[in-house]
This record gives sequence, C-alpha cells and structure tokens, in this order.
Amino acid sequence: MSSLPTPRTTTGHLQLTGLEKVFATKKGSFRALDRIDLDIAPGEFITLLGPSGCGKTTTLRIIAGFETPTGGDVVLDGDSIVTVTPEKRPMAMVFQSYALFPHMSVWDNVAYGLKLKKLPAADLKEQVESALTSMGLTQMKDRAPSQMSGGQQQRVALARAMVMRPKVLLFDEPLSNLDAKLRVAMRSEIRRLQKRLGITAVYVTHDQDEAMSMSDRIVVMNEGKVEQAASPAEVYRHPASVFVADFIGRANFLKVAQARPEGEGSARVAVLGAEVTTPAAPGATAGPCVLLVRPESVRLAPTDRAAIGGRVGRILSTVFFGESVEYVVESAEGNITAVEADPEVDKILEPGQMVEIGFGHERSWLLPAGGKEAYQD
Amino acid sequence: MSAIAPPVGTARPPTTAPTAQTPATAPKPPKKVGHDLSTKVLIGLVIALLLLLIGYPLARVLWNAFTADGRQVLSHIFSSDTSNPKVVLRTLILGLTVGSLGTVIGFLIAYAQVRLHYRGKKIVHLLALMPIVSPPFAVATATITLFGRRGLISHGLFGLSISPYGLGGLTFVLALSFFPVAYMNFKGMLEHLDPALDEAAQSLGARKWHIFWTVTLPMLVPGIAGSFLLLFVEAIADLANPLAIGGDYTVLASRAYIAITGEYNLSQGAAYSVVLLFPALLVFLVQRYWVSRKSVVAVTGKPAGKPQLVRSGVGRTVLLIVLGVFVALIVLMYGTVIVGGFIQSLGINNTWTLDNYRFILQGIGSEAMWKTTAMALVATPVAGVLGMLIAWMVVRKLRGSAAGAMDFIGMLGLAVPGVVVGIGYMTAYNKAFVHDGWQFFPALTGGRAIIGGALGIVLVYIIRSMPSGQRSGVAALQQIDPAIDEASTSLGASGLTTFRLITLPLIRPAFLSGLSYSFARSMTTLSPIIFITTPKTKIMTSQIFAEVDAGRFGHAFAYCTILIIIVMAVIGLINLVVRDRSPMANVGLGS
Ligand SMILES: Nc1ncnc2c1ncn2[C@@H]1O[C@H](COP(=O)(O)OP(=O)(O)OP(=O)(O)O)[C@@H](O)[C@H]1O
Ligand SMILES: [Mg+2]
Repeated sequence: MSSLPTPRTTTGHLQLTGLEKVFATKKGSFRALDRIDLDIAPGEFITLLGPSGCGKTTTLRIIAGFETPTGGDVVLDGDSIVTVTPEKRPMAMVFQSYALFPHMSVWDNVAYGLKLKKLPAADLKEQVESALTSMGLTQMKDRAPSQMSGGQQQRVALARAMVMRPKVLLFDEPLSNLDAKLRVAMRSEIRRLQKRLGITAVYVTHDQDEAMSMSDRIVVMNEGKVEQAASPAEVYRHPASVFVADFIGRANFLKVAQARPEGEGSARVAVLGAEVTTPAAPGATAGPCVLLVRPESVRLAPTDRAAIGGRVGRILSTVFFGESVEYVVESAEGNITAVEADPEVDKILEPGQMVEIGFGHERSWLLPAGGKEAYQD
Repeated sequence: MSAIAPPVGTARPPTTAPTAQTPATAPKPPKKVGHDLSTKVLIGLVIALLLLLIGYPLARVLWNAFTADGRQVLSHIFSSDTSNPKVVLRTLILGLTVGSLGTVIGFLIAYAQVRLHYRGKKIVHLLALMPIVSPPFAVATATITLFGRRGLISHGLFGLSISPYGLGGLTFVLALSFFPVAYMNFKGMLEHLDPALDEAAQSLGARKWHIFWTVTLPMLVPGIAGSFLLLFVEAIADLANPLAIGGDYTVLASRAYIAITGEYNLSQGAAYSVVLLFPALLVFLVQRYWVSRKSVVAVTGKPAGKPQLVRSGVGRTVLLIVLGVFVALIVLMYGTVIVGGFIQSLGINNTWTLDNYRFILQGIGSEAMWKTTAMALVATPVAGVLGMLIAWMVVRKLRGSAAGAMDFIGMLGLAVPGVVVGIGYMTAYNKAFVHDGWQFFPALTGGRAIIGGALGIVLVYIIRSMPSGQRSGVAALQQIDPAIDEASTSLGASGLTTFRLITLPLIRPAFLSGLSYSFARSMTTLSPIIFITTPKTKIMTSQIFAEVDAGRFGHAFAYCTILIIIVMAVIGLINLVVRDRSPMANVGLGS
C-alpha cells in the first residue's frame, strides 16, 4: 500500500504574509495574530504548535475563510484568496469535534460535498466507496454518527474531507478527543493519506509528540507571533529562542558567565566552572545568553568531593520510570535535571550522593537569554 | 525523539533564525470576506419583511399618537382631572397581581412536577397546558358561570352573591390563563438544574428544606424575575379578559378599544395604546437582556443525572394538596366549558340542547370557523420558517449588535401589545400604497382590502406567532456545535444550502413545537384581530366575544370547545405530517 508512488504535487502552495488579527473586545481590542509570515510548499505537512491562546486556531480559521484577517494576505498558488468566501476555497477542514452531520448516515456524510459539486451519480458512488474503503469504513456506511466510537467518527470526518480532493487540508486538533493508543495509530494514518494524495496540510495541535512525529515543519507560535518555523529536528536541537527550547521537550538552561564567538555558529563559554566550546544560535553572544542542555545530554558520575561548586553537585531526588531514570541535581547554578535511558538497576544513584556533572558539548546550544525567566524550577 | 520526516518539495530550508521578521511595508487592510450572495439576499428579504410586518405599523401608531387628539391624551395622562392616571395605575396593579400570582402557581406546579414523586404527572402536565390551546374567553366565562352573582358554586353551593367583575376576578382569570408561561419556564429550569448541586449540598449535611432555601431557590431567582416580567407584560397587554370580566375596572388596553370602537377617536386610541407600549417594551427588554443574562441555570447545560424525587414529608403533602386544588379548578373550568355547550343557559336554564352547536356549525359560526382555521393554517408555516430563519441568522450569520438588532425586531411581534399591533395594522394598511400613480400594493386591512381583509389578518397572525418559533429556534441552534455549519461550508455549501440541508433538519423538534405554538396562538388571539376583522372575514375569537358580550354563554362555550378541538387536532396533524421517517430521525443530536 505504502509502496504507491507519491504524486508530485504542484498545487497547494499557501502563503501567509503579514497576517494580522485584532479582535474587538469589550475593553478595547485584542491582538490575536501579529504579523504572521509563512510560506507553505505544495504537499508540505506543517504543524502549528504553541500554548493555549497563542493564535493557532485563529490562523487556521483565517486560512479556511471563517475569519477575516484585519491585515495581511492569504495567497494560494499565487492568487490572493482573502476575499473568497469559505465555501469557494479549495480547502477542507477536519474539526476537533468531528462535526459530523448527526442526521445523516456515514455514507451521506462522506457524499455531502460531492453531491453539492453535482458529480455524476456513478462517479460519486465510486469516489465515496473508495474513500470509505481507504478508511476501513465500508462495513459501517449505513450507521449514524452517534452509533460509532470517537475514532471511527474521526475517520469519517477525515474521509469526508479527503474525498473532496482539496488543495489544502486543515486540521484543528483532530485527535485530542481520542485516547492515547488511538491517537498514535491515527497520526500515521493521517500522514500516510496526506502523503499519498499529496495534499498540503496545516495541522494545529498542542501535543508535541504529534507535531514531532507528523510534520515536515513545525511552526512554534507564542502570543500571536511565530517564534520559529523549522523541521522537528531543528526545533528540538537548535531552538530559536528560550521560549521554543522550553516549550518543545524538556530543558536545562545554564547560566553563562562569559561567552565569545568562535568561528561560524559556535562560541566559547564559561559554564559550571569550566570553559567549553558549544554550537550557538546566530547573534547569541551579542547580549546576555544561556546554555541549553537537554536532560538526556547530562551525564552524572559519582564523586568523593564533599562541597557543591563548579561541576560538583548533589542528587536531590531520583525517580525510576522503568525505561529511564530521572535525577534532579542541586548545583551551584541551580537545579539541573538529568535523564538516563535504560539504566542499570544496581547503578542507580541515591539522593544525597555527590556527583560530577557533565554533558556532551556538541549537544548543547547557546541562546540569547531574552524573553523567558523560567530558567530553573 | 522519533521519526523525523524530511522537508518536502520546495519547503523553505530550515533556518535557525526566527521567521517572524518585520515586513518592509505595512500590510494593506484586507477587504471583508462577508457572506455569500444567497445569504445576503436572504438577510435583505427578512429585514424587508420585518419592516412590513411590524416596523411600519408600529411607526404609524406612534405617528397617530402624536397628532393633536393623541397629544391631548398623552399630555393629560398624568393630570388628575381626568381618569387617565387611574387607568394607568389600574393597568400596572393588574400587571403586578397577575405577575405574582401566575409566577407562584407556575413555580409550585413545576416544582411538584420535577421534584416530587406522585402518580398522574402526565395528566397534570397536559392540564397545565390547556390554557395555551384555549381561546381567551373560556376561563372568564366559566368563572362567571361558576363564581358569579348567581354562580353555580358561589351561589348554588354556598348561597353567596359575589361579583366576579373587577380586579379580583380579572387577576384570577388572567393568572389561570397565563401561568403556563411561568410553568414551562420553571420546568425547563428545574430540569436543567444540575442535581450534583443538590447532592453536594446534601453531602455537606443540609436537609431538604434547607437545600431548597439555600441552593435551589437562589439559583432560580433570575427565572422567577423573568417569569414575573413575562406575565406582567401579558397581563397589561390583554384585552379579551378586561372586556369580559373587567366590569368597570378599565385598563389601558380596554380604554384604547373603547376610544376606537365606541368613541371613533383613532388618535386617542393610538395614544392610550402607546402609553401601554412603553412599559411593555421596557419590561420585555429588562426580562430579555438583563434577567436572562443573569441566569446561572442556562449555562450549566445538560444535567449530570436525575435528581432524587421527594417521596414523603409534610412539604410534599402540602404541595400535593395545592396541586390537587389547582387540578380541580382547571378540570372544573374546562368541564364547565364543555358541558355548558350542551345546555341552554348553564345555571339559569339547565336543559340539555344541541342548539348551541347547531348555531355554530350551520349558521354564521361555521363561516368564522372555516375562515379562521384557513387563515391560521396559511400563517403557521410562514411564521414557522420565518422564525427559524431569523433564529439562524441571529445565532450563526450575524454578529454583535447586528444579531442583537435582528433578534429584537423579530421579538417585537410578541413584545408589542396586541392592541398596538391591531391599531397599527388598522391605520397602516387600510389604504392602497400609491406613489406617482404606481400602486405598490393594495389595501390589506379594512372593508375595501383585497381578499376581504384576510391578507392583513394573516400577516398579523404571522408577526404575532413568529417570535415563539424564533425563540425556540435560537435555543436549539445554540445547542448545535457551530463546527457542523462550518463543516458544511468548508465542503462547498452556500449559506442557504447549509440552512436547508443541515440546520433545518437538526432543529426539527424546535421547528415542530414552533409550528404548533404558532397555530395555537393564531387561533386564540383577539386583541390585534378585533381591530381589523371585516364583515367578510369573521374570526372565531371576535365572534366568541360578541356572544359573551350579548350574554349568550351557551354559544360561547360551544365555540370555545370547537376551537380547542380544532387546535388540538391540527397540532396532532402537524406532528404526524412533519414527522421525520428517515432512519436517522430518532438518532437526534446525541453526543
Ligand atoms: N472572537 C474572538 N473575540 C475575541 N478574542 C478572541 C476571539 N477568538 C479568539 N480570541 C482570542 O484570540 C486568542 C487566540 O485564540 P485561538 O483560538 O487562536 O487560540 P489557540 O492557539 O487555538 O488556543 P487553544 O490551544 O486553546 O485552542 C485567544 O487569546 C483568544 O482569547
Ligand atoms: Mg484552538
């Protein structure tokens, strides 16, 4: 099945330029989106990720045409579509609540859009049947939505959107009402179909794992602005800001005494009482900066030293998760979290144990300190 | 971290710099997306229709009220050398007494229905709804027959000779006629009150009565205020009962009626009705936009479980006795109406006869019967669809003050007293609209109107009965996930298509009850109609009024019985015909 060749996608090139949305509220106005610029390639799967209220849904609804931006433009394949009404846009949306028509059978739900297109009956039947088959829904085509499980309903919603062959598919947290196992299964199903049909997809979620595992690119948003738009690996390894680093995955931010640039994209910093060379974000050394070290990059080694200071710290807590063990270490720079995967059970360190703290220098990342104060808990 | 997919196609190469750059030029303000054409046309049509149905008649009444004669009444309304201040005061007192009594009755019955355990709930419910389907004179004439000077009960049983005419009788009759509004209001509220609240109070050690006073009642305060205000408006706007049982207790509505039909002074009648209009509108506004916003109950949504029913206790016994008295009263009233139709003159000449029915079914009565039913049948579907359309626009298509304005104008048909509507139609549409030799439309009301004035009456029926559908439509739509509409739009459906294929089927129950209620209201309305009936279009309610006025109660009883039967039959028929037979029908809005 997955051996089908991916069609070369040429349509569905979506551009957002300087998108702004100001809501009129009782007390003046609220700026939900602040100059969003995005260039989404044909066939790309892009995820909007960010904390609640950052403007993900608003962005998606502007693309779909349900909201009018107060500034900026939405361009599809070179044409501005900002004045086109939603039903005329070649897009289909999948909703968090599924939004199936409760008074129609599964078959009628999926056929709804094609019927409106006045498709000949034979074509309509064929396309609906094939959409139902591809989602494994053939058995249930006569059921009412309320007679189906959440996962099945979401598959119907997906089939209903896909059967339209839209240029752009829009998803607003489509999996958040499903249980964890089903969520994982649906992720790959959505991704598989999207790839096979070669449809551009914009996917809103606040589930990191979902964003990481599905996306070509992740757009991290905060307070109506784009903090970073890059591949999952980039966003994780080389976050553009402390906010992104803190939002995606877990992070230790170490205070940096002094930093100076050392060649292209790296810097020499003094941290934990030692000087190391580390990859650095552009312009990181221009002002105050911090060093990002992911918990899984931290290495702890037992030591006989008695006093906390420099690289030496004391274990505060140890939590065993089975596949990993997590330590919180008290150090001169504040508390540092360390995660060790696949630990040997008899080598797990006890709280109170003095340890020497190390980390893979090539895995750390120097960042401008701006924005977020949440350095350590 | 797991599977990391490579960027596809011409995706911008990953950058380590944030992409939120400032664009060189400020973005130009975009044009509005707006609605699609069909929606725009529809909104325009509905606005035009509302202006025709209520806007223009209302403007005409105001204009009339401010002519010389009208101004004279208005300027004397608070001066003590006329009877006007007394009329105003009496109107307000009547509003207060009926509002209080009706609210108490409605609440007690609703509470018993929702919270007590007893047999025969369904029958009590149906009895409580009887006044909705019965014409305005049924209760009044039955009351006079039973409790009047020579009343079957007051005189016949107890030898008393009390007069039912005046404030006392009027309050009794109006409270019995209008309490179903309060009853339905409280019933819905009590059913939606989350039982978890009671359970929480109980788990904190509170006893039932204590719970009632400290939890249930405070939650219902907005509902109590709302019911009181609704009944207040109904009471001060009522015309039929003050005419039938008011005696010399003249209120604004009956004063306006006398001015027009007795004194032939249109401007004066308009002025009195305008004085009535302002408190009615004010109270309506307060009820709708202030009280309902304060309602806590409305937002808690579906109850989490069923409340425990009270099965014993003194409170229950007392309440059941009250309920029993009430049920007996209703049965007595309608029993009198039904039996009275078969008797020469109940209480005076108690011989069985079919003359009353012969008169109605063969004489002039049958004409009124057929014409009223036909006109109500024409008005009902129009009112039903219009109400749903307006509800849909208010909830889904318009925003902010536009939605508020549309909702308010739609509700005007209910909020504006019937007398005002009647006088408005009488003056606004009694002449053809001619401009520059072009006739836009002919006279709609009065003797020279087209179809004998039937069109004007149908329009009045529509505007009077549409708001109830609108209201239930708004409530139903607010329950439906807006994403369902959006899903339809996103699949390529225009606004009108979405309304037809998605919205209407989903609000079918509200639509049905709107239709039933519209029909009942059209059949039983009197106050606006009495001003615009013509010799060619006889209306049952105004015929009943003539019979009551002439003291021929036997005819009136027979008329009332037939009217009730017609209303019930048509409601039954509506439910049969419009019922959905598709397999998805019983699935409802679940989940
Ligand atoms: N119609 C509106 N009027 C006023 N403010 C609004 C409106 N719609 C959204 N907002 C505000 O705009 C901001 C962005 O909302 P949006 O729904 O896009 O957030 P989101 O990122 O999707 O959040 P979540 O993850 O919780 O769904 C929020 O602060 C919200 O309160
Ligand atoms: Mg959202």
